[in-house]
Amino acid sequence: MEQKIKNIIAKLQSPEVAFADVRITITDYEDITFINGNLRNYSNSKGSPALGIRVLINGCFGFAGSKDLSDASIERLILRAKSNAIQGAKFQKEVLTFPTLKPSVAEYHHIPEIDPFAMEKGEKLDFLQNLATAIKPKGKIVHSHVAAEFERQEKYYANTEGSYSHTTVYNTLPLMSVIAAESGQMQSRTWPGHMSAGRAGFELFHQQMFMENTERIMKEAEDLLSAPVITEEKADIIIGGGHLALQLHESVGHATEADRIFGQEISYAGKTFVKPSMLGIFKYGSDILNIYSDSTDPRGMGYHPMDDEGVPGRRMDIIKDGILVDQQTSRHIAHKLGLEPSSNMKGSFADDFPLVRMTNLCIAPGKGSLDELIKSTEHGYFLDFTKTWSIDDNRNNFQFTTEIGYKIQNGKITGIVKEPTYFGITPHFWNACDAICGEEEWAYHSTFHCGKGEPGQVMRLSHGVAPARFKNINVSVKM
Amino acid sequence: MHENLLYMKDALDQQPELKYEIGQTDWQTDFLRFYQSQTNYNISKDNRSLGCSIFKGKKQYSFEIDSPDKVKIDLALAEALDIIDSLPEDPDFVDVEDDQSIAAARHLSNNILAINLQRKTDILSTLAHSAAEHDFELYGTFVCNFSESRLINSNGLDKYSQSSPIYLEVKAVHNKSQVTVLETFGGEDFGFFDLEAFRSRLMAKIKHADNPVIDVEPGEYEVILAPRCLAEYSLYLSYGMGAYALDQHSSFFEDKLDQKLFPEFVNITDDPDDPEMIGQVYGSGGHIYKALKLIDKGVFKAFLCNQYYHHKLGLPKNGNTASCLKIAPGTSSLEEMIGSVKRGLYISSLHYMNFINPRETSLTGLTRDGTFLIEDGKIVAVVNNLRFTERISRILQNVTALENKAYTIPFSDNYGSFSVSTAKAPHAKVTGFNITSSTKTI
Repeated sequence: MEQKIKNIIAKLQSPEVAFADVRITITDYEDITFINGNLRNYSNSKGSPALGIRVLINGCFGFAGSKDLSDASIERLILRAKSNAIQGAKFQKEVLTFPTLKPSVAEYHHIPEIDPFAMEKGEKLDFLQNLATAIKPKGKIVHSHVAAEFERQEKYYANTEGSYSHTTVYNTLPLMSVIAAESGQMQSRTWPGHMSAGRAGFELFHQQMFMENTERIMKEAEDLLSAPVITEEKADIIIGGGHLALQLHESVGHATEADRIFGQEISYAGKTFVKPSMLGIFKYGSDILNIYSDSTDPRGMGYHPMDDEGVPGRRMDIIKDGILVDQQTSRHIAHKLGLEPSSNMKGSFADDFPLVRMTNLCIAPGKGSLDELIKSTEHGYFLDFTKTWSIDDNRNNFQFTTEIGYKIQNGKITGIVKEPTYFGITPHFWNACDAICGEEEWAYHSTFHCGKGEPGQVMRLSHGVAPARFKNINVSVKM
Repeated sequence: MHENLLYMKDALDQQPELKYEIGQTDWQTDFLRFYQSQTNYNISKDNRSLGCSIFKGKKQYSFEIDSPDKVKIDLALAEALDIIDSLPEDPDFVDVEDDQSIAAARHLSNNILAINLQRKTDILSTLAHSAAEHDFELYGTFVCNFSESRLINSNGLDKYSQSSPIYLEVKAVHNKSQVTVLETFGGEDFGFFDLEAFRSRLMAKIKHADNPVIDVEPGEYEVILAPRCLAEYSLYLSYGMGAYALDQHSSFFEDKLDQKLFPEFVNITDDPDDPEMIGQVYGSGGHIYKALKLIDKGVFKAFLCNQYYHHKLGLPKNGNTASCLKIAPGTSSLEEMIGSVKRGLYISSLHYMNFINPRETSLTGLTRDGTFLIEDGKIVAVVNNLRFTERISRILQNVTALENKAYTIPFSDNYGSFSVSTAKAPHAKVTGFNITSSTKTI
């Protein structure tokens, strides 16, 4: 493949082509689903190839992608990418340009503790079957679901500046859920929440203690059927890591993707309230809030030695001591904004064109344990396990519902509430953050399913967070 | 295109103890993304994929091969045959689809060829020129797809279909105020596209966007929902019409078959045969796709049910997937509907909806691409985007009038291979629509 991709680059080197890059991915994927204790789906796709060719001609990008890596297909894609750029340039006002980068070469091959594609199939299925049996419907539990997705992706990247990288990564998405129903009501609980994925193999099931939490989610789902709702207008809330990862994702991550500033994603994903003039002065959050993008940390799914534009992986502050200081950018947009490119351009597969994407977007840890944070809270709610999420076109107004809330009175958890819902305006909310737990509570929470772009792409990415507290938040939604 | 599919069929026919389903899809897209009235990217993509599910008794295993050849097929089949005996059973599986009905042939153009990049940029240049006169710029996508699919199974089912959706989404954004309006076209027959009519509708919306921008307080409002909004709420409602939702007790429609749930003038049909829409000839498992009344005079009439849930739940099988929803028009003109609103809102489009509790149809989401204040029967201001928290069932119960005309609305599946579908709906007048907060932004 290395030779193949370098041959394509050689064919693209010509005076008319200002820049070009080529990616090849080979992806293995496996999906196992148990419903109500029974195996409902076991499917795989092995060695799925993809090729993408992107060329910059006359100041316009053209892209062509296919799953066919034959020589005839490559010739066809080269012609198509070029013609797409040339035709696109006829409907263009601004010539797209960016500075050249010094070429670099990178090699990285991740090895999981338990390779899900190499392990005994019987061992894998037995584990999942036992889990599915443990949460099989009984009593008020009317539905259960155990799912595992495994992915191995090998990627080759090369560009006309001479950069080249070759990487292999494993990603795993484990999840289980139950639904309880009675008298026309329905409540659900998942474990370990919707940000359950990770840069790992099958070991993730053991690390996330699935078997140890089957009884808990069944009991909590049943208890939620008769649980009260929050009655206060406003309350202090502590948000657990899994859900805080999504709060960060939606209201900081997407908001600081700079392609949105210029409207490149208006059609589907939307815009952002962030403006270039805010950089360096805008008080995005409280003084204790430090948020960074770090594609150099191999523990997260956003790790890469080089992004899909040839920019080496970087750790960079996005919010420093509460102030917005940088953006996630492409080379073109970084150039327009006078910033260094942030190494955030990624395509899900090689036949997807690269977009500005979160990698490992993290909140730096503060101090103390979750127990200590709860003890220091006089009255409030501990919320975790995302149920509903929604945020506006500008990433300004959000509303989230979690599966469960734990009521805190005088530093102790005293009961649960169902469908706790809170809403707010992004900068007001982050400025209300008065405590972030420490390193001992900090962990990566990851997803397989960040949707963006047209044609649509779903990206694997991670958020490193520790639980945090937010003061005086709106928790009353009249319906 | 069928050589690999038939090769796999021949191999599986040597294993009489197996049931199987094999599908092949050849898919391509030409995708123009534009922003600030210029090209962002021109993208071409294609793929040929072969998917196979094999069943031995009640054991099942599936695999998919991209860019298939005989070597890949042999390897995948060997692995499948090696593993299937060791799998646990699904006691609810009975058989693969047995509906042999063949749909009437459809005559489609490959719209990728019919609407080439030059034609696309010519159309966009015309629209951009008109919008620029009002200091608006255009953002959006102009997409043509073409796909051919064939599905066969061990019951002798053999179905072939083609599809070539067109999807044009144009957002006009004011350079200073950022006020946004939306116009779309979707379908498979570009003969229905009238550039001058499209331009006129877009310009009419741009003129409304010249009004001052204001904010409104949370509360209950009388609203005029644009056809896109009514169609999208109906699509979300159709989740509960699925047999899967019924099976997991998350369906609003559980125990409500043949009950009157909405006003008599609410009629929703899943209709694959409307020439203005994107057709659907076969549904789940290859079952023929026919018009299915879902809500008839306000009464819930049918669940969307495939072969699997037909056996499991005992529901009538139809193979429908709510891919072609039509909400029947009513009797009012749009002018009458807006004219009858004392103080209310016109909502053009919805954004980022998610269920809070699907069984209750409760959800939250936002308005987008033009929200307007109506006072004394006239649009008088642009309103910041708003958040609603509502029950779809309540919204439909509170419909007081439907427009006497329905519009074709395209929707795209951004989590898949950009599959495009259409729905058809009129404007709806709804009372007591629950606005729960303002975004404070356009």
